[in-house]
Amino acid sequence: MIRIPLYLAVAQWALLGALGALVVIMYRQLGRLLTGTARAEALGPVAGGRAAALTYARPGEQAQRQLTPGGGQPLLLAFVDPTCPSCEELVAVLGRISAAGDLAGLRTLLLISDPPAYLQISEVFSSTGIEIGRPVRREGLESYRVSATPLLVAVDGDGVVCAAGSVVRPAEVLAFARSCLLPAPEAVLAAPEAVRRGEDGT
Amino acid sequence: MLPVAVLPVAALPVACKAAVAVLLVAAGGAKLADLPGFAASVRLFWPGRLAAVPLDAVAAGLAGGEVAVGAASLCCPQAGWLNLVVLSVGGGFVAVAAVGYARHPGRPCRCFGSSSGRGFGPAGIGRAALVAACAATATLPVRQSALQLGPAGRLALLAGALLVAAAAYSAAAAIGAGRRGPRRA
Repeated sequence: MIRIPLYLAVAQWALLGALGALVVIMYRQLGRLLTGTARAEALGPVAGGRAAALTYARPGEQAQRQLTPGGGQPLLLAFVDPTCPSCEELVAVLGRISAAGDLAGLRTLLLISDPPAYLQISEVFSSTGIEIGRPVRREGLESYRVSATPLLVAVDGDGVVCAAGSVVRPAEVLAFARSCLLPAPEAVLAAPEAVRRGEDGT
Repeated sequence: MLPVAVLPVAALPVACKAAVAVLLVAAGGAKLADLPGFAASVRLFWPGRLAAVPLDAVAAGLAGGEVAVGAASLCCPQAGWLNLVVLSVGGGFVAVAAVGYARHPGRPCRCFGSSSGRGFGPAGIGRAALVAACAATATLPVRQSALQLGPAGRLALLAGALLVAAAAYSAAAAIGAGRRGPRRA
């Protein structure tokens, strides 16, 4: 009869247990990806619906400001957080596009949920020239369905959501930003397929 | 699995040692799949005066070190000093969980990379304390015959550890693909 050392017997069961748990985790994630629930959570508001008004405050300011979509000016809202690496990537891309003048005619606002002090830990956030705000009330925020960051929402001058999704690549962000600026047929041609559907383009 | 009724006294420290080692390997492997995300968590604890240090490299070092310590502890059970290294790592987990809860409550700790969306909180401190307690139990003296391992046994455990690290990496990468950023509160 072969005698297995106690440690080897215990260790192999620990390894087997860990592998079993990881297989279950992967199986569940595969199921979520196949049924689309993982992406559906990050969709944001439905394109074609009205964008809700938001109350926000700029970092370091007590004064509350009202964001009311539909005032005639298209909006590009970026729900981002300084502690989210993909958000830093998006803010850097938005900063470059903005500096190049490609966001002219579009009001761009970075909306964070992290405490304002966290802006200091991110060089990209602390140096961006784009307006930053932090929603101060939950009212209206739910309709944006921000279940994950980053989330971009483009709103036209009438307050209607043109597109919503999680895009980071410069070309897609640019097409996304322009989707509300161009006349409808051009916007449809310019926006990539994933953006038109409001899905993550990556 | 060994029936509980016939478990020798030595089984508890041995089981704790194996469980903590496998946990370290899995956690390190998962962190390696999302280094930018883990670096963002590291940055929460990083002193401002060391801002020039590349945090991605620090994060990679921490995650890789976790895998290395876990694999070494699993494959070399007779090296008692490794138990103390694992215990100090467990103590580090408790410290990070406590400081994280005090200074950044609710922020994602990314203890298992993208595969864990849990933030710093009391439950996290409890989990870290449990890991540290297991690591402390593993330092209890065990008769050497229970830890006897031949070269083939070591190699098999090393292969198993690398397999767990690879599986944890894959699981975390798959979850990260479906969830780009941290959940909002």
